[in-house]
Amino acid sequence: MAKLDLSRRSFLKASVIAGVSVYVAPLGGKAFAALFEEKLLTPVKWSGKDGKAQFRIDGIAKVTGSKVFARDARARDMPHWPDQQSHAFILRATRADRSYEGFDLTLLGDELQPDRIVTAEDLARDGVKFPAFYGEDMLLPKGKTPAYLGHAVAILIYHEFAKFRFAKDTLKFHDEVIRYGAVTGPLERDPWGTFRFVRVGGTTPFDDDVFSSLKNAPVFPNMMRKHQPVWPDGQEHGKLGEQGMFYAGKIQDELDHPPADWLVFDREYHTQSIDTAALEPDNANCWYDAANQALHMIVPSQGPLEVVESATELINGAKARFPVKQLFVHPCFTVGYGSKDHYNVPFYGLVCALYGDGKPVRLAFDRYEHFQTSIKRHAFKMHYRIAVDKKTGLMQAFKGDFEANGGGRANFSPSVAMVGATAAQSVYYFPKNDFAAVAIASRAIDAGSARGYGTLQSMAATEMAVDEIAEKLGMDPIDFRLKNVLKSGMKNTQGAIPAGAIRADEVMEKAKVHPIWANRAKKKADFDTKNPGQRYGVGFACVQKDFGTGAESSFAKVEIGEDGTISLFHTGNEIGTGMSTSQALAVAKWLGFPAGDAHFGVTDWADLPVVTSGNPYLMSQAEQNKVSANPRWSPAYASPASATNSAFYYTHSTREAARVVFMHGLWPAAMAIWGQGIGGGQAGPLVVRVEDARWVDGKLSAGGLQALPFEQLVKKAHELGLVTGATVHVFNRWRWSEADFDIAGKPVRLPIDGLSLKYGSGAKPADKAKAATRGGYHVLDRKKVYIPDVQMNNAAVTYYSAVGTLVELAVHEASGKVEVLNHHSIMECGSQLSPQLVSGQLQGGVAMGIGHALHEFLPLYEDGPGNGTWNFNRYHVPRAKDVVVWKQTGEVLPPVTETDPPKGIAEVVMIPVVGAIVNGIAHAIGHRFTDLPVTPEKIQEVLA
Amino acid sequence: MSIANKPLSLTINGKAVGPLLVPEGLMMIDFLHEYVALTGSRLGCGQGVCRACVAILDNPDGTSEEIRTCITGAHFFQGKKIRTVEAHAKRNDKGEVVELSPIQQAFLEHYSFQCGYCTPGFVNAATVLVEKLKRQPVDKDKVEETITDALNDHICRCTGYVRYYEAVKEVVMNTPGLVKGGKA
Repeated sequence: MAKLDLSRRSFLKASVIAGVSVYVAPLGGKAFAALFEEKLLTPVKWSGKDGKAQFRIDGIAKVTGSKVFARDARARDMPHWPDQQSHAFILRATRADRSYEGFDLTLLGDELQPDRIVTAEDLARDGVKFPAFYGEDMLLPKGKTPAYLGHAVAILIYHEFAKFRFAKDTLKFHDEVIRYGAVTGPLERDPWGTFRFVRVGGTTPFDDDVFSSLKNAPVFPNMMRKHQPVWPDGQEHGKLGEQGMFYAGKIQDELDHPPADWLVFDREYHTQSIDTAALEPDNANCWYDAANQALHMIVPSQGPLEVVESATELINGAKARFPVKQLFVHPCFTVGYGSKDHYNVPFYGLVCALYGDGKPVRLAFDRYEHFQTSIKRHAFKMHYRIAVDKKTGLMQAFKGDFEANGGGRANFSPSVAMVGATAAQSVYYFPKNDFAAVAIASRAIDAGSARGYGTLQSMAATEMAVDEIAEKLGMDPIDFRLKNVLKSGMKNTQGAIPAGAIRADEVMEKAKVHPIWANRAKKKADFDTKNPGQRYGVGFACVQKDFGTGAESSFAKVEIGEDGTISLFHTGNEIGTGMSTSQALAVAKWLGFPAGDAHFGVTDWADLPVVTSGNPYLMSQAEQNKVSANPRWSPAYASPASATNSAFYYTHSTREAARVVFMHGLWPAAMAIWGQGIGGGQAGPLVVRVEDARWVDGKLSAGGLQALPFEQLVKKAHELGLVTGATVHVFNRWRWSEADFDIAGKPVRLPIDGLSLKYGSGAKPADKAKAATRGGYHVLDRKKVYIPDVQMNNAAVTYYSAVGTLVELAVHEASGKVEVLNHHSIMECGSQLSPQLVSGQLQGGVAMGIGHALHEFLPLYEDGPGNGTWNFNRYHVPRAKDVVVWKQTGEVLPPVTETDPPKGIAEVVMIPVVGAIVNGIAHAIGHRFTDLPVTPEKIQEVLA
Repeated sequence: MSIANKPLSLTINGKAVGPLLVPEGLMMIDFLHEYVALTGSRLGCGQGVCRACVAILDNPDGTSEEIRTCITGAHFFQGKKIRTVEAHAKRNDKGEVVELSPIQQAFLEHYSFQCGYCTPGFVNAATVLVEKLKRQPVDKDKVEETITDALNDHICRCTGYVRYYEAVKEVVMNTPGLVKGGKA
């Protein structure tokens, strides 16, 4: 889920926290383990031979039903909290076309009245308001029209559970509780964001571009007129935007008046709003301890640091009424598929606590409330025009218009629209493109980060388009794809060259010879004959999805204790994907063993002070040059667990920290042992190079030297006062920041931008004196830093992983039901950190994609979830019978070499199956749907 | 409306609980969470669809069945015996897990779950299935179908079900007496 945050949010960094001491004790951390009865993370049981873990390190806690989720925690579980737990729920407006005029709780009678009611008037009086990112009207004041369906108007707090439960049940579905005034019509607002990416390539895909976003600039509108963008006039030699529009005009002319041998394909695609349906409904449990001016928050979040920053912003605004000197945040394992990244529930939870009369207040949504408020996937409307040379079968130009419905609050809508547009090329090379994307504001529920992040929408449509184009050209769909596939070194639609080897062609070649594809014609004939009333079809789609945001940052700390314990601390948080396991495993590359003591969601980085300022996406090069003179500065602090960022980006920081410990701790320790004695010891007669170092069964060897046990190396490293711990900070703007450091007097360039070191127990007094942080680290000031130029922002994406999926299905003519009979996926993901986690992601992603293609649908407006009546009884999440649980297969391309970095796959896995199903339906019944999901009703309509 | 309390006594995970004063009309999941501090049975939908809240009801005749605690009133369980996900693993005096049940162990080794929110429901459903198969073994060629029928109502959003189902199949095939004709 790449995120280019172009909102007006003023980025809040560590400095904003000044005045409030922040303490974070994540679940699984030592501090939190002390609060709960059990330690939740168990050491990795693994085999050093194959590098595979036997099970997830959070597995025992999860399989025994331990308190893993924020939702499980109650006040009584927190030793330092009062025992009594209060509860709250929120009243919401279910109409957004008239003014809100208050509420009526008569239905509750006398007995079920709340102990405390919080309204917009309270918030205004007390200076309580949303952090800027979330917009205005946290609770809607009387007299205003709700910005969207489900807009919160009041919080009801109860100090007794039974009263809370029965009051909530009593008011459920009773819209008449909310009073409305004059009909105003829905609010009309400017779009949340608008972008345009124009590219005209050179003579070949490898020549310099004539014009592109990376080389020149994206195009932005001059202004809005009637809430629509007004683009610059095209001028060949004008300003960058005018130049872009000049080339956009030429592309338009060419599509309108194509050469005789061009096919100009023209389609409009629609894809629906869905709920990510994370099974843990949104919740928070917070306590404001006025006597000690302390605020405590138990929150499920993909980005605990964002919660810390935004909570600090909120409480600083209200400090006159609710002074807070200490903020305690307990992030928990959670699940969101994006929807718990930058979502507003933690802050409603915080407000509940402020008005909780000194009691901890739990705000835990039921599924109806979750549907009513959780971050949604954007509905997209896409108009594609694609030109193909009929003689060569090569695609020539792609003009796309994208409209993403962002709903009531901006959230990440601008970047979702942008990412959707920049992904539309899918796996193909286009010599020319003009993509215009707009994220509109509407009265729908907020849409934001959701697995796929705009690319599911646009790439699935592209895969439907290329399949249909191939048919029109009379070509095999995979042959047509192969003819146009983007190859290594070619440019994307922003003019950037993707990182490394692009292997979509290998995925396609494998699909082409797979029996599902190769035998499809014969099997269709046989199946249709044997199964009257059913029609067989096979579909294929292949996409490559970016991972990361263009401003990826993280901290990692790796330490080896004298007893040999390897500890890992990381800013990343577990969201179900298994990152806690894979990161623990990742250190084994350098240290021979996985981390046995692992901590995630860590936000206390006193051992490596890093500061940040400005917006990494918007700052000028001059500004970056100026502020980066501060050796502690980085363009970003720490990314939430989202955007499929763990495998590639988190692993980078984890492994760089481990590498520093190896290169400056274990390796010199080994050399000291090998070199001991007359004539340079056993190493003397040999050529010893660090690149020959290998771990075998927990022992280190190199170039014929004696294999030394890990424990012996650790002991020696400590004895010699070598590096036994490293904290690193990293930043990536489609390439890594690098910096020069002096380690033990030697210059070293590393792909990190911050570094601190811990020395072994035998360190010299001078080194010990330098290790002045709380955790005993020596903070190194970098000598020089090489941060990727801000121009790289215009690349929009450079990292991709590819997946192709073949689907066999049967369309039941009478019912219109689509039965998925089998599917096979082929994935390219670099080196796998954990094959079990990778295949689990693939299986889960395919299931979610099947849901998107065939089952899941939410109306955007009055009939949709904003009305508070949606639940799983009518929102069909795929079950086992829907996903071919026993037959499905998948394969992973071997890495080019074992040095391939691991790539993120959590989002790409769900996308090709969407296009493959729609293409399979076309094969089955000869009709190409362009509107998702393809429901039985739509099929019945076509077959009628 | 007024809240009417009445006493509730039952056996949970082998221990007698109550009598406790519990409001009439309160759902069992709320009783488990708020009155006896057992939060492993998870609220997914509140309407009996997703099965994240499933516990095991042990009948007097020795049979067991899944029961949805989000749509079953707490007082339905008066005098009854139930097991929640917290029941299955053996623990030492410190409360530490020393041995998982065969189903839990298989889920762990198969990487069956990701976020783990639905896991308690799957553990209980699969446990009920195994107990049923002990009484009524199934033909070897019906194992997959039997597992699908037993678990299909359970929603998992993360995994696509494959690793849950493979784990249950392994337990069924490797536990003597569950498949007709003996161990496969």
